[in-house]
Amino acid sequence: MKTLRYFIGRLLIAVTMMVIGALAVFLVMKAAPGDPALAALGEQATPDAIAAFRAEHGLDAPLIEQFVSWLRDMIGGDFGRSLTIAGGESISKLIAGRLPNTIFVGLYAVLFATAISLVIGSVAALRRGKLSDTLATSVAAVGVSMPDFWLGYVLILLFALTLGWLPSYGFTSPFESLSGALVTGLLPALAISAPMAAVFARTLRTSLLENAQRDYVTVARSFGFSERFVFRHYVFRNSIIPYIVIIGLQIRYLLGGVVVVERVFGVPGVGSLMVDAAFARDYPVVQACTIVFLAIVLSVNLTVDVTCAALDPKRTQ
Amino acid sequence: MNEERSVATISRRTLVKGAAAGSAACLVPWSKMAWAAQDCSTLRAGIAGYSVVNVLDPAKASLIPEFYVIWALFNCLLKFNEKMELVGDLAESWEHTSPTLWRFKLRDGVTFHDGAPMTAEDVKFTLDRVRAKDGDSPHKDKFASISDIRVVDPLTVEIEMAEPFAPLLSYLANARTGSQIVPKHLLDGGDERSFADRPVGTGAYKFVSHQPNVEIVLEGHSGYFVPDQPFIPNVTMPLIPEEASGVTALLGGAIDLTSTAPFADVPNLMQNPKVKVLRSPGLNTRFIALNHQTAPFDDVHFRRALSMAFDREAMVQIVLFGEGTAANGLIPAALSWAHEPKRRPLMSFDPERAKAELEKSKYGPGTEAVVLTWGAGWWKRFAELFAAQVNETLGTRLRVEVSEANTVYSRLRAKDYQASIWGWLGLIDPDEYTYEILHTDGWRNFHGYSNKDVDALLERARGEMDQARRGEIYKQAESLMAEDAPVICCFESHVHNLMTPEVNGFVQLPYSAFGGQLAAVTSC
Repeated sequence: MKTLRYFIGRLLIAVTMMVIGALAVFLVMKAAPGDPALAALGEQATPDAIAAFRAEHGLDAPLIEQFVSWLRDMIGGDFGRSLTIAGGESISKLIAGRLPNTIFVGLYAVLFATAISLVIGSVAALRRGKLSDTLATSVAAVGVSMPDFWLGYVLILLFALTLGWLPSYGFTSPFESLSGALVTGLLPALAISAPMAAVFARTLRTSLLENAQRDYVTVARSFGFSERFVFRHYVFRNSIIPYIVIIGLQIRYLLGGVVVVERVFGVPGVGSLMVDAAFARDYPVVQACTIVFLAIVLSVNLTVDVTCAALDPKRTQ
Repeated sequence: MNEERSVATISRRTLVKGAAAGSAACLVPWSKMAWAAQDCSTLRAGIAGYSVVNVLDPAKASLIPEFYVIWALFNCLLKFNEKMELVGDLAESWEHTSPTLWRFKLRDGVTFHDGAPMTAEDVKFTLDRVRAKDGDSPHKDKFASISDIRVVDPLTVEIEMAEPFAPLLSYLANARTGSQIVPKHLLDGGDERSFADRPVGTGAYKFVSHQPNVEIVLEGHSGYFVPDQPFIPNVTMPLIPEEASGVTALLGGAIDLTSTAPFADVPNLMQNPKVKVLRSPGLNTRFIALNHQTAPFDDVHFRRALSMAFDREAMVQIVLFGEGTAANGLIPAALSWAHEPKRRPLMSFDPERAKAELEKSKYGPGTEAVVLTWGAGWWKRFAELFAAQVNETLGTRLRVEVSEANTVYSRLRAKDYQASIWGWLGLIDPDEYTYEILHTDGWRNFHGYSNKDVDALLERARGEMDQARRGEIYKQAESLMAEDAPVICCFESHVHNLMTPEVNGFVQLPYSAFGGQLAAVTSC
């Protein structure tokens, strides 16, 4: 009952955040300078054509009227139609075609980051103060300092242009070919995962070291359990909670990385769609993409909260 | 403990086996993937630096990437050859029967992609649609001087002008003019929106699909009127938002050809045996727009001082990495018949004369002004270099304000600016570079510039049918303009296409007629 109440509470907060987020996104887009009519009709647009475009798309209606209409349609599952980047195309259709690509690359990156950080973080903690710790910590420091777009080009230079192992550009949808998606998504996923893996590894190392000093670990050792058993059941399990929380929090940065990296590698995802739409002042598309990203972040946060509650030994025992 | 170890061993083995099996299964169909190396049945012509293609209806389109595609799908009455001479395209011949009357004889046997024949009715319908006064074509002003279009017979059409208008032939050519011939039977009373989404023309390639922000797919038009063309049966045009990604895509074998190249990479790419670089002086103009209605640019002496206070050659080297030419006016050197080759003193770097002009101005050293720019590509560097050089020479305090291209353009149109970097790309007639930018009524005149003598010359040039004499008039008009410095002309950039060494037959034009040149590509 207590868990259910906790879950419902978190869900309500998430929904409230969605509505506030929707309003903020709408207002920010409207406050931004520039004109979708100019973006759609081009530099030679006549004043008459601009006025007609604005009237046709309801851009001359009062702000509150535009927001209510947008929110109403959105709740009904209709994000509207693109103004400038794919004139007249349904935004829901545009996003549905791209979201699987973004999710695929995102999950791929998280998978890499988790795998890499588990190894680096554990090695660094278990061999604290030794050369391997210094090495692992240094690699993490380099990883966190590398901008993903730069790393993207370096990876292309090395793995695509020099070694010729992987494609330099383009992405195959996982629905078209899973193997194609795994191969074409590898470099984008690596580019996004490097900074994340560094943060994850550092968090895991700190958490493992903290827990290794706890009294219950000393007690466990005094029972005669092997170091491996103590590490797995007393140190690691307790350390994994802040680690998972960090993975959840990093989803925000992951989405930021996706936005940049999708453009560098030509992944037709929601991130690149949002950037193109922002440059072309396609308000409804930017709003829809932001809402989708917001929903992803809130769902991940919710999942992390619930997972941590389930994993916490103090709750389960 | 033994039990624990046993469980751990099994799970690790299972994991390794599973991963190996998964990898093997996944890698089997990998070689069949779309991006993998292909034979030459599909030319992959990347549109680099752009990701938005919105409208493929020539009368409604205006963005350069839209025309990159339109040029492959449609033909005009005329077209430019590689020497920028006008030659027939859908028109077999044409004659000027009186100062205001043009007669075009059309090619016989031309068909649209749906199989319908192209006739004089389609030509009349196309031009009437573009020039319609109540229409919303961004190109309608170019055809405003047409008073009537008459169908003489199915293969003959006459265009009657209200007054002699020399630029007409350029505007009837396959450039960013909107005069690409569209099918009357689909558009007369038909759905314009669905035509814009699935265009039908007479071009070498026909439209197959468009995945917004991703790619456009075309296939060869079997009834194309040029014998043996197109050589390559299919074309994909991936939209590559970053020019640098276009280079990596080409070097990595993901595409065969690009529409543009980043200036900074061109010198290195010229040395790379894996790439063919085509380069020619471009049809474009880059300048600093000045608002004459605000201080300090309301003072001609201040404007002149600015024009002589920076080194255009250095700007070409630093901003374009040498991939351009210092401007000597608004008309680019690629339009050689209207371009003045002798450097104008007011467009030369001369610090002493610049300071002398500043002394005559009501604004002195220390004058503050804002130069608008945007952050993309080399544009920011352009503004910063201009401001830094001018400040160093004159002691002024020009400051760069970085915004975003769409915002800068909105502010230019609203005359809500002091100075701004600006430029026009792909214009093919001197009239566009001068009348439209400098004439009191020119639609590109966002500066508030007005000089009756310049206006008179530009109007005279429109009525002069002899190209050599017309060119001389433009040179005179630009010399007058240089005295007023309504804008600060800076440079023209080269146009580039990158391609793999296997691509043959692509001919570059100074206005980068990308899609229109694909039909002649013989190998990839």
